[in-house]
Amino acid sequence: MPSENRIKIFPKSVVCEESNLRGDITFSSGCVVHPSATVIADAGPIIIGENCIIEEYATIAHRLEPGASWDANNILSIGTHNVFEVGCNVEAARIGDKNVFESKCFVGRGVTVTSGCVVGAGIKMLTSQRLSENTIVYGEQALQREAIDKQGSQTLQIDFLRKVLPNYHHLRKPNYDPKKARSVV
Amino acid sequence: MSFMQPSPVKYACSCGILNPINKLFFCRHCPKLRCGYCVTHEIESHFCSNCLENIPSTEARHKKNCCANCFDCPCCQHTLSARATTVPVVRKSEESKDAKKPEDESGDSPAAASTPPTPASSKPSAVPTTKKMYYLSCLSCRWTSRDAGIPDQGVATGTWPDNECLYQARFNSLVEYFQAVVLQEKQEKMEFMRRKTPKQHKFPSLTDRTGLTVSLIRRQMGWNDKTIPKAKAVITPAEATAEVEELPADIFTEPLNLRNVTTIAQRHSQPADQPTAVSSLYPQRRTLWIKRSLRCRQCEHNLIKPEYHPTSIKYRIQLFASCHVPEVVMVRCEQSLASGKSNAILLKFTNPTMYDMTIRLLTTAPTEDAEPAAEGSRIKEEPVSSSPHLRAAGITLSRQNSTREVKREVTDVSNAEIVPLESEFVLSQRDDSKEFDEYVQLPTEEPKFIVWRKGNKVLIRLQFTPAEELPANTDVVLGFAMQYTYVNTVTNAPEKKEPTTHALYSRVFINAGATEQKAN
Repeated sequence: MPSENRIKIFPKSVVCEESNLRGDITFSSGCVVHPSATVIADAGPIIIGENCIIEEYATIAHRLEPGASWDANNILSIGTHNVFEVGCNVEAARIGDKNVFESKCFVGRGVTVTSGCVVGAGIKMLTSQRLSENTIVYGEQALQREAIDKQGSQTLQIDFLRKVLPNYHHLRKPNYDPKKARSVV
Repeated sequence: MSFMQPSPVKYACSCGILNPINKLFFCRHCPKLRCGYCVTHEIESHFCSNCLENIPSTEARHKKNCCANCFDCPCCQHTLSARATTVPVVRKSEESKDAKKPEDESGDSPAAASTPPTPASSKPSAVPTTKKMYYLSCLSCRWTSRDAGIPDQGVATGTWPDNECLYQARFNSLVEYFQAVVLQEKQEKMEFMRRKTPKQHKFPSLTDRTGLTVSLIRRQMGWNDKTIPKAKAVITPAEATAEVEELPADIFTEPLNLRNVTTIAQRHSQPADQPTAVSSLYPQRRTLWIKRSLRCRQCEHNLIKPEYHPTSIKYRIQLFASCHVPEVVMVRCEQSLASGKSNAILLKFTNPTMYDMTIRLLTTAPTEDAEPAAEGSRIKEEPVSSSPHLRAAGITLSRQNSTREVKREVTDVSNAEIVPLESEFVLSQRDDSKEFDEYVQLPTEEPKFIVWRKGNKVLIRLQFTPAEELPANTDVVLGFAMQYTYVNTVTNAPEKKEPTTHALYSRVFINAGATEQKAN
C-alpha cells in the first residue's frame, strides 16, 4: 500500500473535505461526495466514473484479502451515474453504470454489479454473484426482478448538490485536469 | 419490561380464556372482563389507509371495498405513488393545425413529439411547451405503470384504467343473474308471508290492490294473473371440455427465466386473472380498512367506539381493561426456581383509576355461589338498559344471534403453593400531577409484605412454593384471585347518581419462569 493517499479529483466534481478517503482514489468529473462518506482503497486503486453520488455514511471499500498486499493493477472500477445512498456499504468487485445502492444496504465482495441495478434498502448481499442488467433487489426477502424501464437519471439531483454543497462545506480542490495533463504531454 | 414479548402475567377473561391485560376490555356495565372473543365486532366506518378518505358503507360495497384513487403495487404490494414527468409537446396555432395533423398522428411517441419536425420549428407560432404527465411508481421495488404498458395520464388520480380480465363480461352476467334470483326469492317469500298472515282489516276492501279481489278483477277483465317477473335466464351454463390446450413447444427447449414468473403472493393479490407472467401484472386498487367498534354481548353496551373521522386515532368510548383493572407486573423472583423450595416473587400493582382501590389476594377463586348478591343487582339493573317492552316480548336487541355467554371454567394451571398475604392493602388513586412532585417518604405503618410504594404503585412480596413433583425445566405458574374494589361512575339506574363501589375479582396467572436444572 502506498504510504500516502493519492487522491485525484477531476474538475467539476464536488468532494467535501470531511469525507474519509484512504488510498489511491480517482473521482471523475461531476462526482459528488458528501461529508462523512468513506472510500477506502486498501487493495488497489478505486476509479469512480462520472456523475456518481456518494451520500453521507456511505462506504465504498476495496479491502485487502487476507494475506494479499497492495496491487496497483487490482483496480476497483465504478462506472458512471451510480448513486450510493445514505449508510450503504459496498464492497463489490465491479460496479457498472446507473446503479442505485439504497440506504443501509450491504453488497459484499465477490458481487459483480452490472448496469441499471438497484439494491434495495437494508438488503444484505453476501454470496458472490453477478447481478445481470436492470436487476432490482427489493423487499424483506430480497426478491429480484428485472426492470423494464430504465432508472431515472440523477442529473437534477447532481446539479442541485453541486450548487448547494459548496455553500455549507469545505471542498477538496480539483487537483487533476485531463486537458492540462494532455497539454503537458 | 415485556415490550414486544409475551407478557408473563395473564388475566382470565370472563369467558375463561387467559389473556394479557392489554388484550382485554372491561365492561363497566356488567362489570366484567371481556376479551376479543366475547364481544361483538361491528364495522364503524370504511376508509382508505393511504388517502384517509372516508367512504360510506354502501359506496364501499359498490366499489368492492377498494379505494377509487389509490393503488397497490402488483409486484410487492406496497402503495403506488403517482409521479410526474414533464413531456414536451408542441402547441400549434389554429392555421397550422390542419397542415400538421397527419404528422402528429404518425409520430405519437413522446420522442417524436420532443423533436418537432422542421417545418413546425421554423414557424414562430409553434412554441414547444412542456406538459405534466403522471405515471404510477412503487418506491419499494421501483415497479412503474410503464412496466405494465399503461400510458401516462394527464391527471394524477381517477383516470387510471381498470384491468378487465377475459371473463369479466361472463362474471358480470353471473352476478346480475344471481342478484335477480335473490331478489325474486325475497319477493316470493314476502308474498308468501303476506298470504299467510291474517288480514289486519276486518273487512276486505274492494280497492285492496293486492288481495284476492285484484286477481278476480283481472281475470274478469281478461288479463292474466299478475306474476312476479321471472329472473331472466340469460346465463348459459358453463361447459366442461376434455380438450386441454397443449403445452407450447418451447416449454421443453427454452430455459426458464424465473424473473418472468410471478410469485404466489403476486398471483393472489390479483385474483381475477392470476397472471403467470410478470409482464401482465397490473396495479391493484387498494383495499379499504375499517374502524371497528366493539360491543359487549351481554349488555350490548359499546366497549370500544372509535372516532368517526379516519384521520383521528382517538376513541369516543374506550373501555380497555388496562384503564380500569389494576395492572400486575412481575418484577422478579428472589431466588432461582426449584420444585418444593420456598421462594418469593416481587409483584408491582398499578392503579389506573381515579379512585383508591383495596386489593386482596385470594388463593382460591370465590365460587359462583359467593356472588349472587352482585349478580342479582346486575340483573335487576339490566332491564333499564334496554327498552322493557322489547324484553317482555322476548326479543333481545342482540345484533348477533349467539349471545349466550359460554361459561368456560377457568382452567387452573397453577402449580405452586402461595402463602396468602396477612391483610389486604390499598392502592391509592392515579394522580398524574403527583408524578412531577418531589417524593417524600412518609413514615406510615405498612404491612410487612409491602416493599415499596409510590403514588398509585405498590410493590409487594409474595411468598410461594413450587409444587414438589414439578420436573426440571417446566414453567412455574402462580395463580391467585385478585379481589379489588372498583368504583363505577356510570350507573344504569337514573335515580342513583353517586358512584357505586363493587368488589370485583379476576383470576391472575403469572408465569414465573422455568425451574432450574437439578444438579445431579
